[in-house]
Amino acid sequence: MTAGNPLLSDRDVAFLLYEVHDAAALLRLPAFADHDRDTFDLFLANARSLAREVLYPAYRPMDEAAPTFTDGRIKVHPRMRTIWPRLCDLGVITASRPVDVGGQQLPRTVALLAEAYLMAANLGAYCYAGLTAGAAHLIEAFGSDDLKDRYMRRMYAGEWTGTMALTEPQAGSSLADIRTRAVPQDDGTYAIQGGKIFISGGDHDIADNIVHLTLARIDGAPAGIKGISLFAIPRLWPGPDGLVDNDVSTAGMIHKIGWRGLPSLVINFGERGACRGELVGYPGHGLSYMFQMMNEARLMVGLNGVATAAVAYHESLAYARERRQGRPAGRRDPHSPPVPIIEHADVRRMLLRQKAIVEGGLSLLIETARLTDLAHHADDEEVRRRSALLLDLLTPIAKSFAAERGYDSNALALQIHGGYGYSSEYLPEAWLRDQKLNSIHEGTTTIHGLDLLGRRALAPGALQTLGREILQTCSQAQAAGLDLADVVALQEAAGAAGALIAELAGRHLADPERMLRHSHDVLDIFMTITVAWQWLRQATAARRALSRGTLSTDDDAFYRGKLQAAQYWLRTELPRVAPLVRLCRDEEDSYANTRPEWF
Amino acid sequence: MKILVCVKRIPDPDESLKFAGGGLDYSASKWVPNAFDEYAIETALRLAEVVGGTQRLAEVIVLGIGPESQRQQLTQFLAMGADRGIIVDADPDKLDTATVSKLIAAVFKKEAADLLIAGKLSQDNEGGQVPQRVAGLLDVPQASFAATVEWDQAAKALTVGREVDDGVEVKRVPLPAVVSVDLRIVLPKSVKNGSTPATHAYQEGPRLASLKGITMAKRKPVAVLKPSDLGVAVGTNEQVVGVAAPPARKAGQKVKTVEELFEKLTKEAKVI
Ligand SMILES: Cc1cc2nc3c(=O)[nH]c(=O)nc-3n(C[C@H](O)[C@H](O)[C@H](O)COP(=O)(O)OP(=O)(O)OC[C@H]3O[C@@H](n4cnc5c(N)ncnc54)[C@H](O)[C@@H]3O)c2cc1C
Repeated sequence: MTAGNPLLSDRDVAFLLYEVHDAAALLRLPAFADHDRDTFDLFLANARSLAREVLYPAYRPMDEAAPTFTDGRIKVHPRMRTIWPRLCDLGVITASRPVDVGGQQLPRTVALLAEAYLMAANLGAYCYAGLTAGAAHLIEAFGSDDLKDRYMRRMYAGEWTGTMALTEPQAGSSLADIRTRAVPQDDGTYAIQGGKIFISGGDHDIADNIVHLTLARIDGAPAGIKGISLFAIPRLWPGPDGLVDNDVSTAGMIHKIGWRGLPSLVINFGERGACRGELVGYPGHGLSYMFQMMNEARLMVGLNGVATAAVAYHESLAYARERRQGRPAGRRDPHSPPVPIIEHADVRRMLLRQKAIVEGGLSLLIETARLTDLAHHADDEEVRRRSALLLDLLTPIAKSFAAERGYDSNALALQIHGGYGYSSEYLPEAWLRDQKLNSIHEGTTTIHGLDLLGRRALAPGALQTLGREILQTCSQAQAAGLDLADVVALQEAAGAAGALIAELAGRHLADPERMLRHSHDVLDIFMTITVAWQWLRQATAARRALSRGTLSTDDDAFYRGKLQAAQYWLRTELPRVAPLVRLCRDEEDSYANTRPEWF
Repeated sequence: MKILVCVKRIPDPDESLKFAGGGLDYSASKWVPNAFDEYAIETALRLAEVVGGTQRLAEVIVLGIGPESQRQQLTQFLAMGADRGIIVDADPDKLDTATVSKLIAAVFKKEAADLLIAGKLSQDNEGGQVPQRVAGLLDVPQASFAATVEWDQAAKALTVGREVDDGVEVKRVPLPAVVSVDLRIVLPKSVKNGSTPATHAYQEGPRLASLKGITMAKRKPVAVLKPSDLGVAVGTNEQVVGVAAPPARKAGQKVKTVEELFEKLTKEAKVI
């Protein structure tokens, strides 16, 4: 473990926050008027100290010693007991929640970056907080005042934690098929019976109670999505005399290849017929409520993908500067000293690709956070509407980009370590294992491809809104003096992608199966284009800074690195869009028409 | 009780030094709080707060000497839990240790403080003189390099464990007094205030500022004083003649035999 791994580059975080995404402009919105840039910077400084000094040193031990399951209870790594109160004290759980529920009303744009440091340091540890925040937010948004008093406040205070309990053995990607039952009781509660699987943070010994935000069917409810309701089911029931057993049991622990600091469990409700839950909001709205948490969680997973790639990128960058091997092509003198491997162009290819994925992905995630802030807090109704629309479109793209390209990036970090990377003495293999989950949970990449092409890209005005944003970036890039060919390339790719969606939608609305055939490639097209958009924005900011002149050597190097990474993405990745568009338009049918029995 | 804590901002010690024009170039430096000052504030807060209660046994005032732009560093300490701040608006580059000490002593008197807690040194120049000078100027007892502090509220005195070369020396100092703190003061059981249960274990290290603390810190008062308000004339009797990087280490030599090594050690290096 390189002691000095910075997790993320502080310089890059400041650049993205202030020079690219203009976080200072958010201070003009009434919701954020109480803050100033000092608050943003100080919060990030304290979050990164906690990440570097407390969470990161615990990452390796927590990966090596997963939680244990004995006598029906889970014991997590002992270090979590000191980490948990410190995460709560820092204020990450409620950072961007409104003041009236005990939050600090910080823009998501800033809170996201604090989370990025914490996740890069130790994703399992951070996610107890992330899950608790998401679960409490569901009660805040849809629960009664009574539920807020009895559950939400304790969760926001970190006294209790929360989970999202959706998945069942027969209902993973297809939540419409869940079976957990809820039977109304005279006292207004519901008797719950059923089993959930893979429930992260479903049991532990770091806080007094756990509240499972659970999807279940009220007896007699219609089949499918309309019959699903949302319940708060506490592990221990808060009664007048304190917490009492609520017949929630841990039936098993999944042995995972990554995320080993956070247990994922089989949870049974009502094995003895004595489990009670409380309805959140209206019956039958469960899945639409849960979409709030799932959309947040998808962005959290996207951020995790970026963070996990970032920490590995920095590890491999330090390694490439230190490890000496071979000589430059053309200098074969065996008496000359071997050079650090960063001197080899192909090693720099692997580093630059990681940089492009990490910093491009982070920029896209910051964009989603900024849109979240604007969707809720912009003065102008039209800005709020457009921001919500664009956020909805970008969510599956940002999540899938970070998961899929993040995995490529983590593999490169391992590759740069050569044989040492393949050994568990070094960390890149652990991050690679962690990263793989991000393309599976919160909806597999497949499901997001289907969702993008089948629904989100077809939402009226969505693609036009993205198109307008990209055009605006292009004209700013041109004004800053960037190479016109790059600007035109992005415009053309975006135009082609928009036309493709219109064509597919028009041709196949009657035949969704054919329309969705290349949903994976369509997702890839949008991932590539939106990250190219982010790189053009970054290049614009870098070009402007460079043309102002009189930069310190460090700043000069920083901005030049930005231009190189932008060039890499625009000239080596963006050209992949055209052939992909052709493939989709021609309805290439190799796998679509391979019958199961032909394998 | 009133506790004054003096804090200083320094160029990030983790950054490598840059030289320019015969001196150090701080133009691109990141400025951070001196770590020992963070230990000092942690000590003050452990003395002032009663764990498990809301009562405060002391007011904690942070004092920074420097331009108004230093305010953010003060905000960090206020966000950790100090009650209010004082900035003495002066250019620290134009002050020597003696003047800094006079300014601190003047604020101590003006506030009628009972205790000054300072870091044992600042990590940039490692002078390690200020607390001792302030104690001298105020003519009050001092305990430097504190590793433990115990407050006897009734007797208005502190029992201080000091780290010295051959162990720990225990000193009892009546208040008002000056204490400078060392690294071990932030171990979980180093500070006892007589009200927090003596068995309580604090988190190791100085606390971080919470987001809530940061937003509240901005509402805490920070007074700005001029050195003239304190009757201290600024100036310096110190002069930096030059700063240079240490010479690069010379390459080693390979020897073939033990005899040759012995020869070189005795004749060339003259170490044996
Ligand atoms: C470590 C971990 C933590 C988790 N944490 C939680 C949690 O806290 N709470 C929770 O509720 N769940 C959690 N999950 C569950 C997770 O969300 C599901 O695993 C995921 O949704 C996929 O469901 P599944 O495993 O049943 O796979 P399946 O749905 O069986 O999918 C198998 C494969 O088939 C593909 N597929 C499925 N349906 C379709 C379709 N219609 N069209 C095309 N392809 C399809 C999928 O893309 C996938 O490749 C967690 C999972 C893991 C591994």
